Amino acid sequence: MKRPHLNQALVVAALPILAGSGLAWADCEATAGARRVEGRDVVLAFKTRPAKIKVGELFAVDVTVCPKKGTVKGVAVDASMPEHKHGMNYKPTVKKNATEGFTATGMMFHMPGRWQFAFEVDSTAGRERLLDTVAVD
Amino acid sequence: MAGVAADDSAFSSAEKQAIARHGPWPQPVLRDPSNRGSGNADAIALGRALFFDARLSVKGDMACATCHQPARGLADGRDRAQGRERLDRNTPGLWNVGLAHWFGWDGAADSLWSFALRPILNSLELGATPAHVAKVLGGDPAYACLRRNAFGKAAATKASDDQMMVDAAKALAAFMETLNSGKSPFDELHDVLARGDAAAVAQYPADARRGLRIFAGRGNCAVCHFGPNFSNGEFHEIGIPYLLGAGRVDAGRQGGIKAVRADKFNLLGAFSDDASRASGSRTRHVTENHANFGQFKVPSLRNVELTAPYMHNGKLATLRDVVHHYSELSEDRLHQDGEALLKPLRLTDAEADDLVAFLRTLTSRQFPAVAPPLKPTCEPRK
Repeated sequence: MKRPHLNQALVVAALPILAGSGLAWADCEATAGARRVEGRDVVLAFKTRPAKIKVGELFAVDVTVCPKKGTVKGVAVDASMPEHKHGMNYKPTVKKNATEGFTATGMMFHMPGRWQFAFEVDSTAGRERLLDTVAVD
Repeated sequence: MAGVAADDSAFSSAEKQAIARHGPWPQPVLRDPSNRGSGNADAIALGRALFFDARLSVKGDMACATCHQPARGLADGRDRAQGRERLDRNTPGLWNVGLAHWFGWDGAADSLWSFALRPILNSLELGATPAHVAKVLGGDPAYACLRRNAFGKAAATKASDDQMMVDAAKALAAFMETLNSGKSPFDELHDVLARGDAAAVAQYPADARRGLRIFAGRGNCAVCHFGPNFSNGEFHEIGIPYLLGAGRVDAGRQGGIKAVRADKFNLLGAFSDDASRASGSRTRHVTENHANFGQFKVPSLRNVELTAPYMHNGKLATLRDVVHHYSELSEDRLHQDGEALLKPLRLTDAEADDLVAFLRTLTSRQFPAVAPPLKPTCEPRK
């Protein structure tokens, strides 16, 4: 899947604006094994644990949210199979980590196919929903 | 399958990938951290004896093996189970049951040992009480010895009736974890394909090969009947009626979620031996919604040939009937918010026969002997 990437110059220019928010855009740049989604007000990077999602097995998601403006108050994580028109059978619990990010536990994809992650970010700039799709087999 | 004749022995790379997902077999049965008797030889010996022991029932006339009969795929051959009365659901087979995460058609049990407690306590089945089970366990010297060896001396001397009953259930679970079937003709196909042995691949019957292509291809069967055990372990609504008669319905998974949450014997409760409670993660996170109404567990298809009749209420007598159900599926009977993947397959008679032929190749060639011990013996351990 093609994912958007921030223009590096834009990242550098934006850094001063983020002072006080705790995380800079660079923290949400693609790192090994991480997926990255850019929204209106935030950039979000996430990794699953384990890295390979297995059908029917619980996994966790580590999420880093970098605001373009304002500060992040919280994140909700969910997922669904758009073609099948159903979500997960489990409701993840999201906790804020000591290191600024968030971790969602209790995720489980119970079928192979296309799953869409949905991240609902609540920040002082407003509420925003970011989507990213993965294939699970 | 453009370019591949329907009965060609060569599988495409996509078909090989699909077949590979259903193996290898056998799968390792991991020890259950919530059951300190899991994998323990004395617990297994005690569980084997209890499985066949009618003294566990309140009237002394019914054992686990009354319904889970070794000669019938560890099921009973009835449409609906027969306890003190006729029950509402079909008796599930127990082969490879240790690979599951949820137990029972509604998943009302989150461990194999809490699953074992259900028929013990159900007044329409064994109808026992914790005190009755404790008396059976404590009153038989061999049982008491096996229990002490398996679960520890301290637990043996200070146990409540509830704890004694849970230990009996954990011993039954330790025994059921050993009920693992061997390789089937399908597994032999899986293995020779992995080795690239074309001559051996050609030995797999042509009708089963065509059926396998439907199963893994346009049938979309493998989406739910996923992985080495041919089940994703979850719950789906497939248009099987859930009305039980006047004013009664079987809510399926919806009821199962409520039951497991309320169960003091669940994996989050005091009777789990997993101090971390990590094994209770599914129970902690499972969510209930209206789509759960009328959902039932996706059964494993391994050895499915042995456990007719089929579905949660035993309404379908043969595998051919099951295939016909999916072939002529009534979309009007499905939930509005159900699985959008389900569509009538509209199979020809020949295709339906092929699919049945494939399902029959999931029957194992070897099974461990399941028989009661002549008389359980036990040497106390210091």
